[in-house]
Amino acid sequence: MRVVSWLARRVGAAAILLWIVATVIFIAIRMIPGDPAEAIMGGPGSQASAEALEAAREQYHLNEPLLVQYALYLGQLITGDLGTSYAQQRPVAQIMAEMLPATLQLTLISLVIAWLIAFLMAAVAARSNRIGQAMGTVIEVVAAAVPHFWLGAMLIIIFSTWLGWLPSVDTGTVQGIILPALTLAIPLSGFLAQLMRDSLVTAMSSPFALAARARGASEGQVFFRHGFRHAALPALNLTGWAVATSISGAVVVEEVFARPGLGRSLLGAVLSRDMPMVTGIALFSALIYMVVMLIVEAIEAIINPAAARGDDA
Amino acid sequence: MHRRRVIAMPKLSSHLKILATAVLGGLALAGCGNSDSADGETTGEPQSGGTLTYASGDAEPDCLDPHYGGNYPQGLIATQYLETLFTKDEDGQTIPWLAETSEVSDDGLTHTISVTDGITFHDDTPLTSEAIKANIEHLQDPETASSTGFLAVEKVEEVEIVDELTADLHLSAPDNALEESLSMHWTAIQSPEALARDVQENCADPVGTGPFMFDSWEREQQVNLVRNDDYVLPVESDRETDQAYLDGITWRMIPEAATRYAALQSGEVDVIDNAQPDTIQSAEDANIGHLDSPRPGAANRLELNSSQAPFDDVLVREAFMRSVDVDGGIEALYFDTAPRSHSLLSSVEPLGYSDESLFTQDVEQANELLDDAGWTERDDDDVRMKDGERLEIVMPVSTNQSVPAEQSLFEQFQSQSAEVGFDMQINLLDLSSWYAALGEHNYDLVSAPYTKVGPSVLRILYHSDSIEPAPSGYFANNAQVNIPELDETLVQAEETTDDDERAELYEQAQRTVLEDHYVLPLYDQQNHFLYSADVQNMGDTSAIAAPEYYNVWLDQ
Repeated sequence: MRVVSWLARRVGAAAILLWIVATVIFIAIRMIPGDPAEAIMGGPGSQASAEALEAAREQYHLNEPLLVQYALYLGQLITGDLGTSYAQQRPVAQIMAEMLPATLQLTLISLVIAWLIAFLMAAVAARSNRIGQAMGTVIEVVAAAVPHFWLGAMLIIIFSTWLGWLPSVDTGTVQGIILPALTLAIPLSGFLAQLMRDSLVTAMSSPFALAARARGASEGQVFFRHGFRHAALPALNLTGWAVATSISGAVVVEEVFARPGLGRSLLGAVLSRDMPMVTGIALFSALIYMVVMLIVEAIEAIINPAAARGDDA
Repeated sequence: MHRRRVIAMPKLSSHLKILATAVLGGLALAGCGNSDSADGETTGEPQSGGTLTYASGDAEPDCLDPHYGGNYPQGLIATQYLETLFTKDEDGQTIPWLAETSEVSDDGLTHTISVTDGITFHDDTPLTSEAIKANIEHLQDPETASSTGFLAVEKVEEVEIVDELTADLHLSAPDNALEESLSMHWTAIQSPEALARDVQENCADPVGTGPFMFDSWEREQQVNLVRNDDYVLPVESDRETDQAYLDGITWRMIPEAATRYAALQSGEVDVIDNAQPDTIQSAEDANIGHLDSPRPGAANRLELNSSQAPFDDVLVREAFMRSVDVDGGIEALYFDTAPRSHSLLSSVEPLGYSDESLFTQDVEQANELLDDAGWTERDDDDVRMKDGERLEIVMPVSTNQSVPAEQSLFEQFQSQSAEVGFDMQINLLDLSSWYAALGEHNYDLVSAPYTKVGPSVLRILYHSDSIEPAPSGYFANNAQVNIPELDETLVQAEETTDDDERAELYEQAQRTVLEDHYVLPLYDQQNHFLYSADVQNMGDTSAIAAPEYYNVWLDQ
């Protein structure tokens, strides 16, 4: 029963959040300059005839008062209809379905790589001396701070132009995804490593680690059974945020590496005032974020039931 | 093969450098002095086969039918699979292409056009006069949402079929630019069967007569084009077969300039567009070919909004132009890739008129002009004042259209004009916001490119009718030139059937606009392509200056 009510509360909260996101997008798009009818009829600077523009306004209810438009828009969203892209004149859901696999692939591979790098960095730093730890901190901070755009360009120059090892643009092959995934993963790994190292250091010098050592457990056993489990929790907590940053990072990475995907669609849609596309992708990103948070919460409950019940201390 | 060939290598020294590497020797020779033909001068016999990968930096077109909307990226790709009724030869003269003959009635109101016999579309529909009718009607159908092509055939009232190959185009007013308009790919001829389909279906599967055919479209990634094995060249040539050498073209979208160039260097792509000045310069040393193909129509220029203060005063307009160092700025930022223009029209337009003396920098004169115009007081920031108003000028800049070098040039103008007392404000905007700013008249000066074949672009840009906004708010006369005599000259220039009179009238019109300091010309609309050493015979371009790959082959 508790699971059911927990789920009901979460779904309710998610629905409210989605409604807020949809409303913010609706207002934001109406506030930026540019005529939606123009976006429908050939984009900015369109010289479409008065009839054509009028027909577009009629078809998309752009002549109605804003509140009516808002109601129509919400009504459509509630039925799960994301509408038709102004620019491409195809269903938004169809375009998103085409672009989603590429972005998911990129995000998931980046997350895995980020976790691996972060774990390695944290493990090395936690087990090294002060100088090593200080160096580790510097590397983490730098990694966390580099902008995707710059990092992507540097990786292309090094691995594609100089060394010729990897393609600079996506080719649909395994090699093609390495540089874009690294570009997304490196800054993320910096954040994750910082968190993991702190808890790792604490855990490794905590009473239960000492107790384990006293029982004759090897350093490796202590590390994996106790240290890592403790270190993973705060970083896991960050995964919802990590997925969200990966999706926003995908906008830049997909553009730099000329990969198809939701991020690139979003950028194009914002520039061409393709409102249904922007709405669809933004809502979908919000939804993903919420689903990931739910999963993370569930995993935490499994790893550490006490914490989930709130009686940790 | 009569198409215009533009192989421009900016400096003699760069020819020699490339010549010395002996890889692009043939092309360099063709570029030197003789821009006509590179036949027999390439590194070897043309080989058939191979797929060329092209990387475009433009936004991916929403529609591959250039009738729809009608922007330059659509024209670039459509050049490969669609053909036009007319085209331009190497001297900029209009010549028939899919059309075989074309005659104009004495009153200029009827153009009789016959299409070449024996040509079929990619869907096996034969090319007949029906195609002319279907295409013009498609352009004029509001459902098509055509802008560029729609304007180009605006004066055509009716297309009357005369016989299987011949049609009469009846006009509402004489239009000596009609054939030039029909040389642009925004009016390219598509299969009438294909046009009968839904607009969106045609967007995603265009059917023409070109040497390449549309095959498939992977959105945000690439468009795949394949060779048309049944291609018939509409004109005489010394080619052995009519088919293109390439098996196909992979048309990729690589928006990021640095990535595009990296992909060219590493051999992932063969040709890139939108090459920027710094890249072009480094390409010179990297055994990479360069095709400079300025777009037709208007040159890139600053237009000064004469409808409101302070640029409603010709003295202030001239003062601004005299205060800035255009030549120095271009030299520093464009590294010889963009020669200075002193004309309203592109250097590829034979009727362009140029006057250098109007635009030489003279700070002292600029100051005197502002004094004479009554801007004599100064505020604390040293900005000139008149009747309590500051000498403030606003410039919205489109980050889509103005490349970084151009944005830097405008920043130089900003600091140079400040020396004489202007307060120039630059607003960097995305394209939609930029159009919105212009629509709201929230600008004093602006750089707005305009591509069109032929001098009739002058009527679009400087006739007072073009101050009147289109239903979307768009208007082309950004300088807001409003001179009844000029209007008359521009209309006459478009209606006369006498070539000499036409040239004379267009010169007169250009002088008026230039001498009254409405416009500060900068350089041609830049259109640079870089290509790897194995791409041979690059250089043919369509009337809208888009590269053609019919004669191109890969040295594999």
